[in-house]
Amino acid sequence: MNANAVVSVRDLHKTYGKAGEKQYEALKGIDFDVQPGEFVGIMGASGSGKSTLLNILATLDQPTSGKVTIDQQDVTTLKGNQIADFRAKKVGFIFQDFNLLENLTNYENIALPLSLQNMASSKIKMAVDAVASQLSIAETLPKYPTEISGGQKQRVAAARALVAQPTILFGDEPTGALDSNSARDLLEMLTSVNHEQRVPVLLVTHDPFSASYCQRILFIKDGKIGQTLHREGRTQQAFYQEILDALGTFN
Amino acid sequence: MLNKLAFAGIKSRLKDYVVLFSGLVMSSAIFYMFEALATNQSFIKNNTSVSGASFIFQLGAVLLTIITLVYIFYANSFLMSMRRHDYGMFMMLGAKQRKIGQLILLETVVIGVIASVIGILVGWLLTGTLGNFMMSVVIGSRLKHFSAFYLPAVVTTVGLYLGLFLIAGVVNWLSLTKTQVLQLLKGDQQPNRPVLKPVLQVVQVIGGLILLAVGYYCMAHVQTIGLFAILIALVTIVSGTYFLFNAIFIWLVLLLKRTSWATKGLNTFTLSQLQFRIRNYTKMLSVVSILFALALGAITVGIGFHRQIDLMANVNSPYTMAIPDATTVTQKRVDQLKLATKATYQQKETKTTVYYNAAELKTTPLQRVTTTLAELQKQHRSNVTVHYGTMSTTQLQKNPVDLELLQSGAQQTKIAKVVSAAQFARIKGTAHKLLVFRVANLKADQQALKTIQKGENLAAGTVLPGGYGMLVLSTAIYGGLEFMGLFLGIAFLAMLASCLMFKILSGASSDKQRYNMLNKLGTRGGILRRSINREVGVLFTLPGIVGVIHVLFGLQLFKLLMINPYDQIWIPFTIFILLYIIYYVITVRLYERIVLPEIQINN
Repeated sequence: MNANAVVSVRDLHKTYGKAGEKQYEALKGIDFDVQPGEFVGIMGASGSGKSTLLNILATLDQPTSGKVTIDQQDVTTLKGNQIADFRAKKVGFIFQDFNLLENLTNYENIALPLSLQNMASSKIKMAVDAVASQLSIAETLPKYPTEISGGQKQRVAAARALVAQPTILFGDEPTGALDSNSARDLLEMLTSVNHEQRVPVLLVTHDPFSASYCQRILFIKDGKIGQTLHREGRTQQAFYQEILDALGTFN
Repeated sequence: MLNKLAFAGIKSRLKDYVVLFSGLVMSSAIFYMFEALATNQSFIKNNTSVSGASFIFQLGAVLLTIITLVYIFYANSFLMSMRRHDYGMFMMLGAKQRKIGQLILLETVVIGVIASVIGILVGWLLTGTLGNFMMSVVIGSRLKHFSAFYLPAVVTTVGLYLGLFLIAGVVNWLSLTKTQVLQLLKGDQQPNRPVLKPVLQVVQVIGGLILLAVGYYCMAHVQTIGLFAILIALVTIVSGTYFLFNAIFIWLVLLLKRTSWATKGLNTFTLSQLQFRIRNYTKMLSVVSILFALALGAITVGIGFHRQIDLMANVNSPYTMAIPDATTVTQKRVDQLKLATKATYQQKETKTTVYYNAAELKTTPLQRVTTTLAELQKQHRSNVTVHYGTMSTTQLQKNPVDLELLQSGAQQTKIAKVVSAAQFARIKGTAHKLLVFRVANLKADQQALKTIQKGENLAAGTVLPGGYGMLVLSTAIYGGLEFMGLFLGIAFLAMLASCLMFKILSGASSDKQRYNMLNKLGTRGGILRRSINREVGVLFTLPGIVGVIHVLFGLQLFKLLMINPYDQIWIPFTIFILLYIIYYVITVRLYERIVLPEIQINN
């Protein structure tokens, strides 16, 4: 185990169903690390266990056995409010369906994680304005989520995920609900955030194009990591081709 | 297939349906109970003491019907909020509008029928036990000819509920077929962006206040304006309340959002939740505040009437009883009482007049109540002190009404005349003796007085003149009023709280996602719960405050019927507010169970 790793997963198992009933093993022993500043993709067919893995990493679900360490903290031992606080402070999460609160303005949506930490409103405003200008959504701040496009919604969601300066950013098919242009915009934005702020990004996707933005891709099949691809200085186009090839043989 | 789907939809939301059902069952049970008690002819005819209250019961039934209408409206909107999404999905799957329409109608009516049938059964049970008990406590004796099952009441209840649900079903059908499928699927997600229009806002506030003032003025001056005043008050108070809520509620929420308090924790979210459905809420809050006022008012007045009974008995007459030609048995019984005063007066009765001997009235003067109404109003009802004085012969000669009030039976319609001893001796007429007495404590000797009155073999429905007779009569009238006040008060409270509950729970399904998102964002469970407590708390508190103000002014109306309607009002207020808080807690719990994410990881 690398001592510097931001995320470290060891022998992770997840079984659904109670003992004695019909059980289903979604994860059958997963091991990997995410280094500081890394952009990692997780790919796999639906039902391969990638969403389960992400949910456990984001403390939305609990593993049956194994260890998950994020920022030197074993997240599987957290309890009640600790989990909530951990999510609020350490993890940024971008969802496929945005998960914006449609009764709050975009500004209020982005400010929410800071409000939850009871930050002074002047500091909140500074942080929100900064992240909004970085993601070029400053003019949408006073609007409501229903009044902006899907691409803009996902940017707002990304701003909300980044505003509390999380240790790691998780993306669960963040481009899944976007058209190809918006998807490209979002991925490029994530890449630049990843470069400039050195925030590690962990992206779950089944879209090869999204995956081609990653530095490293883990393929999950039947609850195990089956194959790993590294970009290592290749062009994005070449990497994309390699992912397509890998998917062809992998599935 | 569609029927199967519809049924599956109900099954999956069984918890919500249980809430809806229990509310409807309770409402129809209350309605049946009231109908069975208020309209049961054989029961009313055979209990002469109840008949005075019959008219009042009819009035109560009308009020209850109106409230039931409002209630079913909210219950129905709750039902629709649960089903919108499903119906939208069926339509998206290609179900014909007609088919969906039939399904809605069927579902609404079936729910109505089942709820009212169960409600009547529950109501039957309640009438036999609780209703009978309440009546007997209030009226003072066990009821005769009383049966908990009363067919006309069953028919009225079923008729009303079936009719209302048929209408509701048709309305649902129409409204749903007019709505776009997309709206059905995403119904509640359109944000409501209230804009502050200061001029309009101020106009609404002033207009609302003026309307309320007119309403309050009318209630305080019913005596001079007449019963029309009540109608005016009803309209102005309802509309005034609405304007006030509409103006102040929006303004308050927007103002709070600008403060730095709003940026702390989930406060922005809580305020936005309120802002989001602001239009719907102002309407409902006005309705609820009126219901609140009716319920609290009914309970206050009901309890007030109870205290009225003793008071009326004590101040109505200086004597407890006036017995004409008392038998020796009766006299013995009277002597066994703890007497404050006792006298016997000679009478000579002719066809039109009853003559009294002035000499006799001089040696044993007739008593009178000297405590004035104004003095009584200052006293606390729990221990009233009444003072007595005497009347001079000259006073009685001028105005013998005090004597006339003591005459009963055939003498009741005859005038009284006080004449000198010589004249009295000369008058030819049948001689009688009138025994008058006052007991020291009416309450303590009530049972013995009852025996005495029974021994006099009076015509049915009549009483002997004096305080005891008044006690019996006012127990019947005020007891009926008291019963109705308490009954309606509790019924209104139950319905208003359920209205609020339905309204709040209607929004719960869309809130579920929001709370789930907040959970994913890392909001502590305690903070989520606090947000819910506050949001629901505001919705309960605002109409509560306005309702209390309505009642404080509305009690003016009862100055016609009561000596001091404001006396000791903290008792009914405390009871009522406690019950209201219980409803609040239940609503919050139900809401939390619906919206809070089920799997909060706690190991």
